[in-house]
Amino acid sequence: MESSELARFEAVVLPHLDAAYTLARYLTRNEHDAEDVVQDASLRALKYFDGFRGEEGTSARAWLLAIVRNTAFSSRRRQRPDAVVLEFDEAQHSGAVADEHPEAALLRSAAKESLGHALDRLAPEFREVIVLRELEGLSYKEISDVAGVPVGTVMSRLSRARARLQQALRQEEEG
Amino acid sequence: MTHPSFEAQLDAYLDGELAAVDARELETHLAQCPQCAQFRDGRLELRAAITAHVPAFQAPTALRDRVRAAVGAAARARAPQRFPVRGVWRPLALAASLAVVAVGSWRLALQRAAGETLADDVLSSHIRSLMPSHLTDVPSSDQHTVKPWFNGRLDFSPLVYDFAGRGYPLIGGRLDYVGGRSVAALVYGRRQHLINVFLWPAARGPGIVPSTRTRQGYHLLHWATADYTYWVVSDLGLPELGDFAGLLRQADSAAGAPK
Repeated sequence: MESSELARFEAVVLPHLDAAYTLARYLTRNEHDAEDVVQDASLRALKYFDGFRGEEGTSARAWLLAIVRNTAFSSRRRQRPDAVVLEFDEAQHSGAVADEHPEAALLRSAAKESLGHALDRLAPEFREVIVLRELEGLSYKEISDVAGVPVGTVMSRLSRARARLQQALRQEEEG
Repeated sequence: MTHPSFEAQLDAYLDGELAAVDARELETHLAQCPQCAQFRDGRLELRAAITAHVPAFQAPTALRDRVRAAVGAAARARAPQRFPVRGVWRPLALAASLAVVAVGSWRLALQRAAGETLADDVLSSHIRSLMPSHLTDVPSSDQHTVKPWFNGRLDFSPLVYDFAGRGYPLIGGRLDYVGGRSVAALVYGRRQHLINVFLWPAARGPGIVPSTRTRQGYHLLHWATADYTYWVVSDLGLPELGDFAGLLRQADSAAGAPK
């Protein structure tokens, strides 16, 4: 690969590394796996970069996220066939709420924890549409490209995922 | 009355993904149906809760370095096989393409080449603007702040609109240098995406019909009215960017494009 080509790759792909890491974090639910996924995905992206060049209608962000997503899913299948094990990382969902009124902090972290919990408990295909939409800001069409499903499926998955998250939030408020 | 398919429609509406016709119909319904309005409020609450409690992460610096190193090493490893005799072939290829230009319709080719150079220029400016603190000279969502800011900085007064109501809020303006002249750069947002609009007075002529280019994952839209030359760049998907360009053209023709 020419150095100018490498520079082009870095200019196109590296700006989206935070987005890649965020998606990987939520899909793997684990920092270390997320880092591995991002690194693997970057190397894959490099390999397919020639193919990316002229694709109409695909943003670099969505293109990279599709590779991250597929890397995460295939590595998970490889490592643990029964991928639904819930490993909840306490540190991950109880962020710093130090300088707040203790009661407010408690309420806040409760909502935060319940939403984080609920998101982690969602099946991966529901979790990914939430992350792609709410955190990465992709359009339905881009999500459909990333997840490899029709736009109509994106629409219904998003709606069902939101219904479940809302339920979790409501239960927290009531209980 | 809410049913699953209707809920998905409402979600699509809140996501700005519903066609304008359907959106209007739904708005009419929302105004009359308390249950649907309640559903909508619940979704807005959820969205706020997600924004507040579900963080986006920053890639750790160590990971960034690791990726850069791994990519660099992989790229170097690929180099010898892929470009074995590039020292010899590149000048030859260049000579060959120059010959083609000379033999073919050279005027058209040169014109096109100029357009492509301009596209490169515009794209470089866009990418540079994404680097920290390069985005705007005048950060404001108020068109009446942004427009006057250009007074005395340019030899023309650019048209500035705010499309926040249509999901493309104005973020600010910037002075930029493209194709050998000072130009106005207006920055708009769409979710996490940024859109740069470059404009400057057009050469006299009938205008240029819109054309699109895709480079390095960015989309470039270009057109010219009788008065202004426009370039619009973003990593936003082409359909939405086209939608945005449509708004701009509409507003422009409505304003009668006064100089």
